[in-house]
Amino acid sequence: MTEEPYRWLEAVGNRRDYVREQLKGGSPVFAASLPEGILLLGVGSGQSKVFEIFDRQALAGLGHPADIEKIRQAAIDAAHTESFTRAPEDVSLRRLVSFGVSGQLKTNFEQLFTAPFLIELLLAEIGSTPEHDLFFRLHFDGSFQSHTGGIVVCASQPETESAAQKWLAEACKGKKDRGEVANLLLQAWWLLQHGKNFTESMPDEKERQSGWRSDAQDKTVEVGWLSRNSSRPIRYQALTLSELDL
Amino acid sequence: MTETHRIAGDFLSLLAERKLVPTRVEAGHAAPVQTQATTVFAFHFADGVMMAGDRRATAGNIIVTDKVEKIIEIDATSLLAIAGVPATAFEMARVLQTSFEYYRRSQLQTLSLPAKVRALARLLRDNLPMTMQGVGVVVPLFAGLDQTVSPPKAQIYFYDPLGAQFQAVGYAASGSGSGTIRSILSFQERYGKPRPSDMKLADAVKFASRLLIVASEFDSATGGVNPASETFATIRVLGPKGIENISDEQQKEFLK
Repeated sequence: MTEEPYRWLEAVGNRRDYVREQLKGGSPVFAASLPEGILLLGVGSGQSKVFEIFDRQALAGLGHPADIEKIRQAAIDAAHTESFTRAPEDVSLRRLVSFGVSGQLKTNFEQLFTAPFLIELLLAEIGSTPEHDLFFRLHFDGSFQSHTGGIVVCASQPETESAAQKWLAEACKGKKDRGEVANLLLQAWWLLQHGKNFTESMPDEKERQSGWRSDAQDKTVEVGWLSRNSSRPIRYQALTLSELDL
Repeated sequence: MTETHRIAGDFLSLLAERKLVPTRVEAGHAAPVQTQATTVFAFHFADGVMMAGDRRATAGNIIVTDKVEKIIEIDATSLLAIAGVPATAFEMARVLQTSFEYYRRSQLQTLSLPAKVRALARLLRDNLPMTMQGVGVVVPLFAGLDQTVSPPKAQIYFYDPLGAQFQAVGYAASGSGSGTIRSILSFQERYGKPRPSDMKLADAVKFASRLLIVASEFDSATGGVNPASETFATIRVLGPKGIENISDEQQKEFLK
C-alpha cells in the first residue's frame, strides 16, 4: 500500500490522528523562566514526568511512560557522550534536540509499520540570564519550536496549550517567587485537566486554588528547579511542594 | 535509542558501543612499578573524612607547577586523591565523574558506595599495561559516603596499582611522601592528644597542613605549605551532608 504516494500520505495522516487521540487526557507539564532559575512542573499518577538530563538541561513530558523513557535515555546518552568526548560546556539543548532526538522521532514517525512514539515533550536549558533561558517544545513527529525565556506549556491539544500559555504569560508577569508561580502553573494544570476555558468566564481564583489542591491529593506533583547562580556545575534539583510553601 | 545488550546505566559500555573508549595500549616490556612524586592522604576526624594533598607537579628534578589540584570532587559524595602519572589519573577522574552522573541520571538513583569503589578498581585494572611499562602508574585514594547507615558515614579506600581495593580503618596515604605521613598518622592515632579521629575542623586543618610541611622536608617532590608565600594544600572534607572545600583563606586563618 505504501508504494503509492497518496496512500502513504493517508497513512501518515491516520498515524497523526491516532497519536493525537492516544495523547488526549495526558497530564500537561510546564516550564517557567524566573530571575533565579527555571521551574519545571508536572503532575503524575505514579510515573515521573520531570527529569534531569545534564548539568544545565532538563526534560518534562506527557504521554506513554515507556516512550518518554526511550527519548529521555537517548538524550542522556547523547549529552554524556558529548560531555566526555568534548567538555560539559559543549552540551547544548539546541544540538541535543535538533541533531539528536528530533531526527530520531521523525524517523520513527515515518516508519509506518513500527509503533509511533506517544509523547509530547518540553526541554529546558538554563542560561546566564532569563533572556538566555532556552526552551524546546518537541512533538511526537520530531517537529519542534524553540522559545527564549517566559513560560512554556506542553499539553496534548495545541489549541488549549496555546490558550494556557497566553493566560500564564499574563498571570505570571512580574512574579519572581517560584512558589507563587508554581501555584499559577498548578491552577493552569487544573483548568486544562477539566477542559475549562481560559477566557473571562473561567473559574475564579478561589475555585482554581481549591480545584488543583483537591485533584493533586491522590497524585504526585513533581517540581524540578534549574538554578541560575549555583557554584556547582550541576544546576538541577528536585523540589517538594513544602519547599515552595504550597 | 538504547541497545538491549548494554549494561543499564554503565557509561563505559556506552563508550564501548560507540567505539569511544579512551585509548588502551598493549603491554610492553616490564618495568619496575614506581609511584610518582606527590603526597596525598585522608584520615577520619570528628566531622567525617579529611582528604588533603600537596599541589606540586614534577618532571624528574624539575618543578613544573605548585598549583595542581590533586583532590578531585567526583560527585556530591565522592572524593578522589590522585597520586601517579597525571595524564592517566586525571583521565580516570573524568571517567568516574561522567560514569557516576550518567548512572544517577539514567537510573534515577545514586550508585552505591561499593559500586563506586569497584568502578575505580576496574579502571586501574584496565590500566595494567601502562602500569607494567612504568609510564602510567596511578595509586589513588577514594573517599565516599556510606548511605546505608544513619547518619551517613564517610569511608576511606586505598588501592594497589593493579586495582586491589582496601578499606582504611583510620587513615591512608599515597605518593612519594606517604611514608612520612603514614608514620606520623600512626603515631598520632596511637598516642596523640587529641587523636586525629577526635579532632575538630580547625585542629584537623592545622594538622593536615603540618603533615605536608613535614613530608616536604623529606621529599623534594612534595610541595609544602607556606602561608608567607601563599602556598597552601588542597583540603576537602567529606561529611554526612556532602563535600566542603577548605579554601586558601580558611587555611590561612586556621594556621594563624
